[in-house]
Amino acid sequence: MKEAAEESSPRRAAFTEYDYSNFYYAAGEDPINLLRPFNEWYREAKQHGYYLYSEPLAGAPTTRVRVRNNKTGEWRDLINLASYNYLGISYRPEVKAAAAAALERYGLGASGSPILSGTFDVHEELAEAVARFKDKEAAILFPTGYSANVGLIPALMRAGDTIFLDQYSHASIVDGAIMAKSRTVFFRHNNPLDLERKISGVKGKKLVVVEGVYSMDGDICALPDIVEVAKRHGARILIDEAHSTFLFGPNGRGVAEHFGLDKEIDFHLGTFSKSLGGQGGFVCGSRDLVDYLNAFGRSRFFSCNLSPVLAAGLLAGLRIAEGEPQLRAKLWSNVAYLRRRFAEEGVDIGNSSSQVMPVMVNNDARVFAVAEKVQDRGLFLNPVTYPAVPKHKSRLRISVSAAHSEEELEAAVQVIAGVLGDEGCLCR
Amino acid sequence: MPLSRYRFRWGLSGFFEFPTENARRILPRGLEPLELHHGSSVFSLTAFDFVDSEVGPYSEVVFGVIVPPLLGEEGRLAKSAFYPWQLATTTRAAREHAMNRWHLPHWPENVGIEFTRDARSLVVRVKAEGSPTAELTITEHSWQPASHLYQCFMQDDSGAYLTHITMEGEYSEHEEESGRMRLYDHPFNKDILLSEVYETPFREVWYRDGVQSFEPLVSRSAA
Repeated sequence: MKEAAEESSPRRAAFTEYDYSNFYYAAGEDPINLLRPFNEWYREAKQHGYYLYSEPLAGAPTTRVRVRNNKTGEWRDLINLASYNYLGISYRPEVKAAAAAALERYGLGASGSPILSGTFDVHEELAEAVARFKDKEAAILFPTGYSANVGLIPALMRAGDTIFLDQYSHASIVDGAIMAKSRTVFFRHNNPLDLERKISGVKGKKLVVVEGVYSMDGDICALPDIVEVAKRHGARILIDEAHSTFLFGPNGRGVAEHFGLDKEIDFHLGTFSKSLGGQGGFVCGSRDLVDYLNAFGRSRFFSCNLSPVLAAGLLAGLRIAEGEPQLRAKLWSNVAYLRRRFAEEGVDIGNSSSQVMPVMVNNDARVFAVAEKVQDRGLFLNPVTYPAVPKHKSRLRISVSAAHSEEELEAAVQVIAGVLGDEGCLCR
Repeated sequence: MPLSRYRFRWGLSGFFEFPTENARRILPRGLEPLELHHGSSVFSLTAFDFVDSEVGPYSEVVFGVIVPPLLGEEGRLAKSAFYPWQLATTTRAAREHAMNRWHLPHWPENVGIEFTRDARSLVVRVKAEGSPTAELTITEHSWQPASHLYQCFMQDDSGAYLTHITMEGEYSEHEEESGRMRLYDHPFNKDILLSEVYETPFREVWYRDGVQSFEPLVSRSAA
């Protein structure tokens, strides 16, 4: 699909010409000079569509949410297709009860670094449960998924080493590489041939970092070929399974297990914020790795530990994910339903083959209007536009949950196909 | 404000990733490359087919490094900013004009620049001293009228300068990765580590039937 030749509002076209890179340098020597030009742009961008970001919710992120429209101030009840919560676990009674009991027992927070006073028995239980679930010797917890990557990567890699990243790597992976001060080489998205081209002849310590499921496109890592290339060139492999842990593979361990490559991967990283709908990250592997990270994982070492309330809730959530494989089956059934219906209606979901589905609008100026109409008709969805995705690849991002009913999914299909049809963005 | 106008038939750019170390070697002190990814900056290859200017019709090719635009006090936001470190033209008059007025460094001899249009693309072939130096293929997307403001940073022995350039015309821009660039082993390309620059542009820009307008130079110390 191509963008329309003319735009109805020149102002709208104008604000889309800029992104954060335009506000990187300012005249003069005062850092405050950066603020005003950005805010002038942001005020305009906000009223034309950026108001759709950071809209507050007034309840649990279930399949139906009450959301405040940032433009009108009105609270609306919407079908939720924006929250991760892929298994619908975070608001289950068992999880809330475990968190409530932990709140009663421990109080609000950990009140210390995990290496000092901030490790509680519940943290150790959670780490052991994660290691068992992932079939690894040990696991170590981080306050967030972001901190897991910026803790792990610089702990392993140094100046003079080389890190190979997929071009669509999450910011936490990129920032981890920056903090490692290693040479960073990007290979084309999910392209083992380009990795081969880039890694050939590189000497020294090498790390290849991939993601199980890529968060903007919902496509799955081409892991078998990437592992083959990495191993042939003597590189270690780190997989970030933020969007695939608890979902893929016979036991839900992730994409590595899905491909039967669990033992071939050197470093396994995951998060609790996606499938469990909580917060936090983890790395698992050998006991030696975990002991090393306990000493050298600076993002963990110098942060307060996860709240024990959260850890208790996550432990309960993990038990549900392990004990109820039917949740995964329901999720994949929902994904299959939505894929089929979108195909029937001519809705383009790109290369998605997971629960993350981009609804391709492919029109940077129009994506906010599409998102606005979709919300007006009852769906909570976020627009994603340049520079988060390439130009003309703007989209709405759907997170499918096992908790969605077929009625909710069908309502979503009707709204999305209707709006895209009205906007001339269907692919048929 | 007096403007210098250059009317063109084609104006096209390909944007390519290349190592930040390479970009830093090219940029003068005081300018930083804009990184697309950590360690990866942006090399731009631009070609114009000018049909009318103060120095008559000519063609031009520009090698640039993309830098972050400078936020001024006047509230105008540039779409992008660049530092052109090597230009080449097809006429001596155009070369001397650009060097004298705009402090733009040029290849000292006339070069051959050939534009070939086909169904969906435009190919530019550049020859210097009779040998091929560069070939750029840009593909089209959708066309719409546009007026874009750019910042161009210049530096030579006389000082450091900045000008604002407005590009007006029919405009196509995309990131479909369907274009192509080939740089030949030639003294013209000596500042670029050829094995490290991408051959596929992550972005392709194409203006047609438009005008490029330069505002008067300002000294960078005053910018």
